[in-house]
Amino acid sequence: MNSQRFALSADVSSLIYRLLGVLVLGIVLALSSDAFLTVTNLLNVLRQASLIFLVASGLTLVIVTAGLDLSIGANLGLSACVTAAAIKATGSISVGIAAGLACGLFIGVLNGLLITMLKLPPFIATYGMLWMVYGINYWAMAGNTIYGFPESFRDIGSGYVLGIPIPVLLMFVCLIVGGVFTRYTTYGHELYAIGANTEVARLSGIPVRARLILVYTLSGAMAGIAGVVYLARLNSAEAGIGDPLLLPAIAAVLIGGTSLFGGVGSLTGALIGAVILTLVLNGMNLLTISGNWQPLITGVIVLLAAGIDTAARKRNEARA
Amino acid sequence: MSISIHKICVAVVALCLVSCAKTEEDKSGKTGGESVAVFTKNQTNPFFQTVRLGAENAAKQMNVTVTQYIPTKPDDIPEQLNQIEDAIIRRPGAVVFIPVNSKAMIPGIEKLNAAKIPVVNITDRVLGGELVSFMGCDETNLALNTARFLLQKLNGKGNVIILEGVGGSENSANRVTGFKKALSEFPNVKLLASQPANFQRVQALQVTENLLQSYPQIDGILAANDSMALGAIEALDAAKRNALVVGLNGTKEAIDAIKQGKLLASGDCDGFTHGCLGTMAAVRHLRNLPVPKEFIFNLMVIDKSNFAGMDVPYEQRMCPAWETVVKGN
Repeated sequence: MNSQRFALSADVSSLIYRLLGVLVLGIVLALSSDAFLTVTNLLNVLRQASLIFLVASGLTLVIVTAGLDLSIGANLGLSACVTAAAIKATGSISVGIAAGLACGLFIGVLNGLLITMLKLPPFIATYGMLWMVYGINYWAMAGNTIYGFPESFRDIGSGYVLGIPIPVLLMFVCLIVGGVFTRYTTYGHELYAIGANTEVARLSGIPVRARLILVYTLSGAMAGIAGVVYLARLNSAEAGIGDPLLLPAIAAVLIGGTSLFGGVGSLTGALIGAVILTLVLNGMNLLTISGNWQPLITGVIVLLAAGIDTAARKRNEARA
Repeated sequence: MSISIHKICVAVVALCLVSCAKTEEDKSGKTGGESVAVFTKNQTNPFFQTVRLGAENAAKQMNVTVTQYIPTKPDDIPEQLNQIEDAIIRRPGAVVFIPVNSKAMIPGIEKLNAAKIPVVNITDRVLGGELVSFMGCDETNLALNTARFLLQKLNGKGNVIILEGVGGSENSANRVTGFKKALSEFPNVKLLASQPANFQRVQALQVTENLLQSYPQIDGILAANDSMALGAIEALDAAKRNALVVGLNGTKEAIDAIKQGKLLASGDCDGFTHGCLGTMAAVRHLRNLPVPKEFIFNLMVIDKSNFAGMDVPYEQRMCPAWETVVKGN
């Protein structure tokens, strides 16, 4: 009788529970540093989080289908280097961006084909892809860096529109488009169905192969976009720039409540995960915590954040 | 995948060494044709690329062949140990060695000793095993001199921050010690924060962005490598703030930034010369020529007054003659 009302409020309250980790962290930081709760610092946190979110968003779709994409960091690195080389070679920013996006997308398509046509497990297929992409990039760059790009290109990473950093705007565009895609389109629903039970999804007429190729392509394309934004932000490309990003991106997705077993997850979750990871670094810097303690503190906070989220969701599910 | 790439590499190396061995037989009795295996830490840091180019250049001058061993995973301890074992099977005449870790590589050096392959240790010291020579630079002094240069430019007063490298790495620890030593000479300079950014540009950018939030006045930034210094400059530019920045390693990108007036200076130990002299020492040892047990390279703080000599593509640089660098041998 009351199920309708409960279902609605459960939806809203789950989001609030999700934000609990971020809120707790935010309050602690606001109390301990005057610099934290300022508009510039919060925009600064969002801009840093956007770099993680862009790769994490594509990865979320992959993980929703119970897959995994380990090639995103390497893909980001190669896409950034391809963009850099193309801009240097042609002098055209649009050619550079197109080349970088095409590179990311192409790697994604290859992942999708390896997984659907050769039936390789996603972990192995994308792990192999990681090494191939690394290999190509390290060989091509040979330890060199490509640097120094036109201001108009660098604006993609460090410019503002209406006072909001462009990477943050890109993040919100991606969040809205992706949110509509996953929640309100048949395509989106099919991804969850595939993740929940591939066999049932197949039997109910969902073109599983085509959808899987689609998600890996999207994941690759997002890594490509992130590569372009990274390059614009850093004004420099080197072979290894994507390496440190793989685990944080996976962590952001999982902290946000997406399940590695598939069928569950959301882009808002990935955003929350990315923000939590960014807040940890921001907070430690603002409080100038010694480097000796930073890894330990990062670990504790990640566990706490994930713990709060899990507990809150359990409670929420019990109430619903 | 890593294994198959590995196998291909080994196969290529094997082919190369087979052909080397032939030329050695042909020329028996004469000098030339020896083989040297060069171990560097990773493919990502431009410094080691310059070491490798230096080694290739010296090898060409001395008519020897060089095989490069580079971990596919940057600074990977087990991988470098495996590569030592691979090298022992291929039996190079001598090894020029940069350890990915000063202590963890001691067993590797002991294996090379047991196989009677002479080892010249360059750049970072291995803390054990039998070495023909150690040729490197004093990282603490390098950081000390570079920081001193910046602090003098600040007229001995102001606020500075330090960007540290990878926590627990000897490299970063020595450099930070050098920075702090310099700071102790300038009592009116305040160290606001010393934070790790893992030698990486992205992290340095983000850490600097964060520190700019909490400190309205930062006058100087001491970065433990050039990549971090350049990341910090991007953060300063975006925030429209100004500070003097120094880095370490003297990479090409850093020299360009010095030219543009963005970077104040970079402390350089010249990886190219490390590669040159390390390889020369190995070959000299094989040819029974004297080699010093230890050699410390000169340091140089590159700034806008003296970058011109360094602004040459490494591909065009030539190794200096042994005698001009190593005197009294």
